[in-house]
Amino acid sequence: MGLLSDPSISTQNKLVDSLAKHVRKVCSGFYVLGVVWLACLALPEFNHGTYLSENALSPGLVYPEIRIDSNRLASQLLEELQRERKEHQSTTPHAWITAKFNEFGLETHTHNYTLRYPFGGGKEYHGKNIYGILRAPRIASTEGIVFTAPYRAPTSVHPDISPSVPLLLAFADFARRKNYWAKDLIFLVTEQEQLGMQAWLEAYHDGDRVMNVSKAYLLPGNLPARAGSLQAALNIEVQDLEIDYVDVKIEGLNGKLPNLDMFNLVQRIMAREGITSGYKQTLRKKRRSNPTVFEKNLRQMLSMLATQSSGVPNGNHGLFHRYRIDALTIAAAKRQTHATLKGNAGSAAVPLLKAIEGIARSLNNLLERFHQSFFFYVIVNNDRYISIGDYMPALVALVACAFFKAYLTWSTLDFELQPAATATASAETQSGSEPDTAVEDGLPYGSVLIYLTAVLLIGYLGNVLPLQQYFLEIPMGAAPLTTSVLSFLTLIGFILPFVVVLPAGGLELLHVGFLLIFGCSLIVIGLLNFALGFFVAVLTVPVVIALETSEKNWNGSMRNLTRLITVLLNPMVVVYLIVLCMSFYQFPELKLDKLLLRAATAAMDASAYGLIDCVIYGNWLYFVVSTVFLPLWILCWTLALSKRREIADYSDNEEAQRRKPKPQPQTKLKTN
Amino acid sequence: MSWVHLWCVVAPLLASVLAQTTPKDEHFHEELVVRPLSGDHVNTYFQFTTRWHYGQKENLYHTQLTPRVIAELLQQFDVRELHIGLTQGLWRYETWGYPIVEATSGAEMWAWFKGHNLTDEAVDKQWAQLANVFSGVLCASLNFVDNTNSISPRHLLRPQFMPANQEKFVRYASLPREIVCTENLTPWKKLLPCGSASGFASLLNSGYVHNTKYHSLGLKVRTLCQDHDEDNCILELTQTANLVYDLRLLEQSGNDFSLRRLFGMGLNGYCELATTSKIYVQRNELGARYQLVPLPPAEVQTTRGGYTVLYGVYDMQEQFQDQGERLFNIAWLAPKGEERRNRLKPAPPPIYVHRYLLGQGQERGRIVTEVTNSHYAPLPIVVQELIPWYVHAYLHTLNIRRRSMARHEYGRETLPFKLLHYAPGKQRELPTHLEIGFVLPGQSSALITIDVDYLVLKWLEYPPDANHGHYINAALVFSSLPMGTNYSALPLEGHLFAHSFNATRPSYVLGLHTEALIVSLPTPDFSMPYNVICLACTVVALAFGPIHSVATKVIVVVRPTSAGPRNFLKRLKEKLFSRGGQESTPMEGKREGVVLDDPCPDEKADGDQEEEREGKEEAAEALIANPFESLSSAACPTVWDL
Repeated sequence: MGLLSDPSISTQNKLVDSLAKHVRKVCSGFYVLGVVWLACLALPEFNHGTYLSENALSPGLVYPEIRIDSNRLASQLLEELQRERKEHQSTTPHAWITAKFNEFGLETHTHNYTLRYPFGGGKEYHGKNIYGILRAPRIASTEGIVFTAPYRAPTSVHPDISPSVPLLLAFADFARRKNYWAKDLIFLVTEQEQLGMQAWLEAYHDGDRVMNVSKAYLLPGNLPARAGSLQAALNIEVQDLEIDYVDVKIEGLNGKLPNLDMFNLVQRIMAREGITSGYKQTLRKKRRSNPTVFEKNLRQMLSMLATQSSGVPNGNHGLFHRYRIDALTIAAAKRQTHATLKGNAGSAAVPLLKAIEGIARSLNNLLERFHQSFFFYVIVNNDRYISIGDYMPALVALVACAFFKAYLTWSTLDFELQPAATATASAETQSGSEPDTAVEDGLPYGSVLIYLTAVLLIGYLGNVLPLQQYFLEIPMGAAPLTTSVLSFLTLIGFILPFVVVLPAGGLELLHVGFLLIFGCSLIVIGLLNFALGFFVAVLTVPVVIALETSEKNWNGSMRNLTRLITVLLNPMVVVYLIVLCMSFYQFPELKLDKLLLRAATAAMDASAYGLIDCVIYGNWLYFVVSTVFLPLWILCWTLALSKRREIADYSDNEEAQRRKPKPQPQTKLKTN
Repeated sequence: MSWVHLWCVVAPLLASVLAQTTPKDEHFHEELVVRPLSGDHVNTYFQFTTRWHYGQKENLYHTQLTPRVIAELLQQFDVRELHIGLTQGLWRYETWGYPIVEATSGAEMWAWFKGHNLTDEAVDKQWAQLANVFSGVLCASLNFVDNTNSISPRHLLRPQFMPANQEKFVRYASLPREIVCTENLTPWKKLLPCGSASGFASLLNSGYVHNTKYHSLGLKVRTLCQDHDEDNCILELTQTANLVYDLRLLEQSGNDFSLRRLFGMGLNGYCELATTSKIYVQRNELGARYQLVPLPPAEVQTTRGGYTVLYGVYDMQEQFQDQGERLFNIAWLAPKGEERRNRLKPAPPPIYVHRYLLGQGQERGRIVTEVTNSHYAPLPIVVQELIPWYVHAYLHTLNIRRRSMARHEYGRETLPFKLLHYAPGKQRELPTHLEIGFVLPGQSSALITIDVDYLVLKWLEYPPDANHGHYINAALVFSSLPMGTNYSALPLEGHLFAHSFNATRPSYVLGLHTEALIVSLPTPDFSMPYNVICLACTVVALAFGPIHSVATKVIVVVRPTSAGPRNFLKRLKEKLFSRGGQESTPMEGKREGVVLDDPCPDEKADGDQEEEREGKEEAAEALIANPFESLSSAACPTVWDL
């Protein structure tokens, strides 16, 4: 064995020696440890109870002053709005909302924006937001809080949340008559779901982007008035004035979360007003089955991670996080049961109004931006959380084996090469200098680097190609376009290892490079969006453990299994499988062939939405998948194939080195 | 109570005695202006003016109506004009029109200095002292005014009473973070001759004054001396209180209001020391719909620059002639059943300004000042920016873009500068001072943008509540209007509000303030772990220096080959000489110069060879001088610089 024959390694690196023997066991151990660690965090012993860090919030310190007349106003406004909605089937009653804001004495403005939809030849959409600003008496418009209510036209496919606008207006009218506001209050009614919100926020923070106006897809327009630096935001989505429970939505763009204090604040105030509220709150009926605490916690934890991992915000609040504005949505569901009806219908919304008032007054107390408490956490229960310090070790344990293997492969690199070199020497006519040169230029750094660059370039093209002007001009929908570009690139990646065969030692070197890139990118992704990093690690780490480049300790069936799994782990395939699972749960009545077809179109749509989210909202899921995961997969596939040159090829070692870069330009040409 | 009665009897008597003994050269006036504004707001403006024709400087030692501190000011400092404003809230030009006196939110102060042989340094010193004096007088944080946040405006602020041909100095500073409260109102009222006991000042109760949407206390001192005659001077002290009430915030809803509702009590009389005490009530425009109880005994119609205003005038001295009168109240009664929604939005004033911050993150941003001209003719605009040192502004990014009011977005059309004054800032020493002048075409807006970088501060430079953010001062925007629409400021030469009546001029100088801004500079997490890290790092750094120095040096004793010249010049000469020689024969030089074995490995790594050699030489010389001391002082300068 090369390892034993070398004196330096046997004396110096006993660690490497023993690691080489047990690497699979150690890595599997770490993998299991990581998964078990995360599961353990759901146990009440491993997570912590929530508490308020920011003393300035002092929730519930003031007695709520909002009274039944505000509720009356809200229901009266709701009636008016329902009448307006009959006339405006697919548009927003801007005039009515503006008139109401003006009547309540708010500074009222409209905000126009334009979306240039780039695909299929290009289309333009126009939208309009209405907002009223309550100028606070105690401040010179340097700070503000935003209260938003999305407006959905009657033709919208989403559930009707039209009562949020009257609720917002009723609160605005109440707030206007109070003199204790120390932050300007902005009451914003947006349309077209998250697009309106995104346009408003972009206009607020990047109002005058004139330089690249031709390239921008969303033209946010200009805001006529502002209210200083925004400190916090509350999004209100109410299905009815009579509510059953409140679901507090927190997940934002790219898995960002609002400060834990903000969530706790909402929970405390809702509890004080006697409203059932919580994170991922659902109907009481469903909760009748009696799972253990651990099971419940684990379920909630995993569902939170699942929501976070896609990076798509689950409400308008999620877009605020990018601008470091802490925001969340209170989504109130319509009352289903009348059994627990406490008061009469005339005062149904009073608790909710009181809660909004309480939240507003607590936020009004803030001296500083939210900075105490946590920005990275996982909620396991309404009053329990896991901090970043507790959940990161799980990811580190998963990823650690990539670094172990990288170290091991690197340490044994030279000596795996030596048999090959000696083999070359024996095959050729004996010459004394031959082994020396083999050791000297044994490691083909250049060609491996070129290979890595080419692979990364393929990933980058996946990010750039679908948005090229000549592709956009093709009268083709976004979904087929994106999918065809991505499939084409995947195909190139699939073929690449068959066409390009690395010289001796190249595969080992590539393996080291792959492991390092894999480990680093997963850790970085995990820091930014833990859920995404963790799930990807859980899926891919077994393959990484199984991968082996030397043929000795990698038998045939194992090898073929790894190849199969690697093919299944292709990003496109994974997306398809996830969509398939989801459509299976959503449409259980469908037959298999129809299900497969539907999942295929849905997966195509998903990739297109990923791209659109990326360019309009700045969601980087698509970017990560195409620029990081796709290249990693190609590398993984290369290693799983482990195509080696025949021994005879080593004869003209140097020539091969020179010839090596040649196939790369070909691939580039193809992709272009 | 008895002494009050006594005082009432004695005071006029005393006044008349004083009037007989001294020429009638000191007057005190109190005025109150009430103007209903749009959007259910009411503006009340108090002005207390003391004008003293004091003549010679020696007379300043004997003060009567003028507060002593103001008189002392003129003795101690070469100040000729002083403006201080303490404001809470922001004046909303678009809905309220223009105020009678301008002020920025927070504290603002500017002063003109003039004197014999006055230098810039002396003015800086006086300016800081002056700020400290008024910090004590008004209980405000004006003591934070120093050179790091003061500028000398070039074009924007004009002296009001000073001859143009003499050298004079101006300083300006503003503190946007200052919070104005009752602690400022009380000392401000104490400067009045009658205090808050009687007269209009008795209306200023902090419980009511601070429940307003905007309140601004002002103090203005001006001196006017006859040309080339320092012994014939007038001192003028104007104290103003500008309040805006929001009728919707008053307890009872409805649009009626009265002095009693606004201030908590009626007027209890007038200040006996006052020459005039008058209340002016605007009767036209938004005031037209109110019915006044009691009706004003007199009315004044004033036309200024084509803009007519009708004021009802109440003379308090006539009102309180009868002894029976106790408390005086004016009520504004709105017509009943008036619908709020039917009211029209007011026409915006000719020029209004806004300011905001663009960009995200804590690294860089863009300060945007937006000036809108709704007048049909082009107007000249001068903008003064004071950007604090913790924000780096880049002049090359300064840009004025224009849009016509009909459009929503700004295009690429830019406006040329007519005037540009730029004094770059300096970290921890000077703020960036920028003055921009341009002509803004009619019916259009200008967007003035400048890119800034946020500085990382030292950890002790963060104020308490570090995550609140740092303030960027408001910009000052000046223009001159050709007409007097909405314009109610006092003319330069006038000192009473009544002097603004019928004061038609060729143009009207208008000064506006924008909003201040809050920026989030990169802020460390000032929590316990952060402090622990800071402390631990300090300890490690302290320990590292000596240990590194001891561990990396070898002591080699060197025989002095020749005693080096002790004279500085000779040493320098030798150094230059030896350097040239060494360059020619580096090997030889090295052999001679090797004294310490690798004294500064860090320096070797990144410093250039020559410097290193020099360091060695220095070390060698030091060793020669004192072989033991050198080890700790001269051998490794880089380490000790840390």
